[in-house]
Amino acid sequence: MTDTSSTVRVSTATRLYVYVSLSLVAAIVLVPLVTTALGGFKTLGDLRLNPFGLPSEWVWSNYVDILFGERYWRQMMNSLIIAGVTVFLTLVVSSMAAFCFAHIRFFGSNQLLNYFLIGLMFPAATAILPLFIRIRDLGLLDSYWGVILPQVAFGLGMSILLFRNYFRNLPEELFQAAFVDGCGYIRFFWYISLPLSRPIVATVGIVTFVSSWNSYILPLIMLNTESKYPWPLGIMVYRGEFGTDWQLVLAFITLTILPTIIVFFLAQKHIIAGLTAGAVKS
Amino acid sequence: MASVGLTNVRKSYGALQVVHDISLSVDDGEFIALVGPSGCGKSTLLRMIAGLEDISEGEITIGGIVVNAMTPRERNIAMVFQSYALYPHMTVGENMGFNLKLAGVTKPDIATRVGEAARMLALEDLLDRKPSQLSGGQRQRVAMGRAIVRDPAVFLFDEPLSNLDAKLRVQMRTEIKALHQKVGTTSIYVTHDQIEAMTLADRIVVLNAGRIEQVGTPMELYRTPANLFVAGFIGSPAMNLLDGTIDGENDRPVVRLAEGSAIDISPLRKVRRGQSVKLGLRPEHLTAGGDNIGGETLLVEPTGAQTHVLFEFAGQQMTAIVDGDHPVRHGTQFRAGIDKNLVYVFDRESGVSL
Repeated sequence: MTDTSSTVRVSTATRLYVYVSLSLVAAIVLVPLVTTALGGFKTLGDLRLNPFGLPSEWVWSNYVDILFGERYWRQMMNSLIIAGVTVFLTLVVSSMAAFCFAHIRFFGSNQLLNYFLIGLMFPAATAILPLFIRIRDLGLLDSYWGVILPQVAFGLGMSILLFRNYFRNLPEELFQAAFVDGCGYIRFFWYISLPLSRPIVATVGIVTFVSSWNSYILPLIMLNTESKYPWPLGIMVYRGEFGTDWQLVLAFITLTILPTIIVFFLAQKHIIAGLTAGAVKS
Repeated sequence: MASVGLTNVRKSYGALQVVHDISLSVDDGEFIALVGPSGCGKSTLLRMIAGLEDISEGEITIGGIVVNAMTPRERNIAMVFQSYALYPHMTVGENMGFNLKLAGVTKPDIATRVGEAARMLALEDLLDRKPSQLSGGQRQRVAMGRAIVRDPAVFLFDEPLSNLDAKLRVQMRTEIKALHQKVGTTSIYVTHDQIEAMTLADRIVVLNAGRIEQVGTPMELYRTPANLFVAGFIGSPAMNLLDGTIDGENDRPVVRLAEGSAIDISPLRKVRRGQSVKLGLRPEHLTAGGDNIGGETLLVEPTGAQTHVLFEFAGQQMTAIVDGDHPVRHGTQFRAGIDKNLVYVFDRESGVSL
């Protein structure tokens, strides 16, 4: 009988090659993470003698001291405020802009879209000086807004692109049915487009959150008061303070990246769904 | 309920005109079908009536009011789409009540009206389900429910049954007809399926390349097609067409075919001797066992009550419909009789019925 199944048969050798390659990639990602986390459980001496192995004695106090200290939570709050407001503003602005680009043709719409997309090519670091001057002129230096607004602006290109592609892939007849039902553009956006776009909202939200969470240059340039520092700057200060106690620095780093990893694991399905939306016919 | 009027309606995309000068009047409570091949402009015309497409020229009225500048909502129409276009994130009840919610109707009123529509369409048990949990037929009923719940002036149907399988299509066709008889709302129905149009509509509008070819009741179109296009479009299997020339005396005209045989036509036909014509013979009007035309049987297609016979005559393939019990075999000679009153004659150049 002819095999009509569309399943691709994979030879054992190929499978072995795939598993070995994937294990290598996984190791490249995991080894530094695990080493950092384990390092936080060691004494300084243990860390020097045995940097990659399991701790000879599990020192929980490294983590406990940080968790019971005020600094960790204050910096986490700063990071949460900056990342949270950045995500909120990015979602609001980019979804509305993308909706217009997806559904409304107006004079210069393509040029305006391209203008936003050009932003994809410029990381914030390349424009840091003019950005600093503009933020200073606005009187936003050493405030959360001085970090949030540039982050939103630099995130718009990618967010608009993702939202626009998603909106354009929603069936045209839904749009027409909603108009017959009495929707205008705003009601269609609110009642139909947005509720149907949860995967892309999650994707843009998470990508923006992670990007803001890890942002270093902008807070470094815009913030001066230590009490306003988010985690990446906090780590820098912490390292300066405890530069010789590497086990504490490693514990601090582990605790700061933990929330991102948890969020990523919880939302990876949405991230992949959003990034590949429209890639294949559903 | 309301009448619908189209006066000299045109639609152009740049230099390309897709709807040419259409004028049509749909009576209050009438069920009218727009039929034609793909790209003939029927859906565009419907979308122009709905307000989803601007019109380039002309005037559209609903209930005697010019609606050219009105939004779909202001026109008080309801539309059923080919793909159902149900909102996937809403339940059946929310889908049906959405337009009422937008119109500011109170929640108890929405519940009452949705309940009534659901009862009418046997959707009561499905109100809390999402569209993804429904079958194709159920989704189509919800789409109709969404349309009737708002009690619109006009129903617009855009090929609503095209996505359903053959059996379900027949069932839904009956339901749509029953629904129209119950609510009596003016309905405009777009389809490329002439059987759907014939069975549902009070009148049919046949469109071709953005123009109206003929408007009439289903039987008028079947019995007296205005031209070759309508003759070929209405009726299944399609009408057999043969090239010929008018010959014979004025009181006993015949069509002389290319291979020399002559076929009598009614003296009432307005033909002149020597005129190049196309002769039209409906498959169901060919009587098996007659002696007017015949040839080798090429294909036999039994459908149960009837059998379709494909045979060769005058150098081309002809189709005849005979009784299912009639003995006919592939490769044998098939002969058929013709009633001259059931022979259609069209001018070969203009295609107009003579």
